[in-house]
Amino acid sequence: MELPEKGNEAEKEQSVLESLKEWVSGMLFGSFVEIGTQAIRKEAFDINDNLMLLLFGDFLGIPNPISYYTLELLPYVAEELVPWERRMQNRKTIVAEKAGQYDFG
Amino acid sequence: MTRPAYRPFSFFGGKGGTGKTTCAAARALALSEEGIKTLVVSTDPAHSLADAFDLSIGEEIGQIAPNLWAIEIDAETEAQKYMKGIQEKMLHIVSPVIVDEIKRQIEIAYSSPGAEEAAIFDKFIELMEQLNSPYEAIVFDTAPTGHTLRLLTLPEILGAWLDHLLEKRARAVELMSMVAKYDREVRQKLESDPITDILGKRKAKFETARRILTDPALCAFYFVLNAEKLPILETERAVRLLTKYGIPIGGILVNRVIPEGAGDFLEKHRLAQQGYLRQIRETFASLPVTEIPFLETDIRGINELDKITGLLKNL
Repeated sequence: MELPEKGNEAEKEQSVLESLKEWVSGMLFGSFVEIGTQAIRKEAFDINDNLMLLLFGDFLGIPNPISYYTLELLPYVAEELVPWERRMQNRKTIVAEKAGQYDFG
Repeated sequence: MTRPAYRPFSFFGGKGGTGKTTCAAARALALSEEGIKTLVVSTDPAHSLADAFDLSIGEEIGQIAPNLWAIEIDAETEAQKYMKGIQEKMLHIVSPVIVDEIKRQIEIAYSSPGAEEAAIFDKFIELMEQLNSPYEAIVFDTAPTGHTLRLLTLPEILGAWLDHLLEKRARAVELMSMVAKYDREVRQKLESDPITDILGKRKAKFETARRILTDPALCAFYFVLNAEKLPILETERAVRLLTKYGIPIGGILVNRVIPEGAGDFLEKHRLAQQGYLRQIRETFASLPVTEIPFLETDIRGINELDKITGLLKNL
């Protein structure tokens, strides 16, 4: 009769340990890795935005020699397309955007 | 029966109204009479191929004579089919709200100037991929000069452009997967990137077209013109452009050459044509020039076409 309870206790300890580990790794990730990856993520987004501009520039009024062929990509980028269009149209200055990336305040 | 040497793909270009379709029809008929299974393709929305054969020809391939098949491509229908395909695919992938938003974009692209041209080119590639199953030769009656040339140079321009896009996407995906080191779901999604996949397939398709179009053993481009001043200048320009892109030119066909003894009324015209013919032979000295006589009546039907097939048998 004693054994299961002991088992429960061990399990409880185990799960507390697990969540503590997760919390610590999350904390470390947030305070060290996350800051490092932010710049990379921004860069990835920028390249992807530029790619979208090359593929679907004609939606913004920039002629595209093969807009007919890029249409077949639409189903896969459709979800990104609307926010992308908004981002492109809301762009104020490229300098401010770049400055923001480096956290100049 | 010994078969004449022939290249599996031939294109007939030139100004509208010079008799491209008639030449393409006669060439196809000539090949079929030699026992070569031939498909003749028209892109003319005015159904001039049906007129030349005096038969009805549809948007699906149909047999019109022994060893001879024909098809009339309608650019608008082809473009519509393509757009419909995309819309259907989208319904499976994207939420309905976005679909409505995107439909507008599809309509914009549909009315863009290159759409029909691109649709025809796609169909050309599709047909060319069918070589030897069962057609041994495919004869294209292409759209007028400037239009056609752009069509044929597209693969090279687009190839470079697509390379650039693929590079960009690869870089973006690389960066994204670096960031997603701790996110397995995103990483898996990036490993099978549909955008890279589709761009890659598109590129492969253009490369196939490019390879065929620049292979002198596979393909030849013929210019059809009348013996007049302006077409000579235009054809010269077109020949130069095709040569620049490495597209092999099979020869020049001079259509509606007035024969001797056509009567006083046409004599002066005939002499003028002879002058232009000399000029054509000088200008295109390195290319075979074939003269097709001006006949008493319009060429309509297989019997009439047979009057000129002899001239087009050994292009």
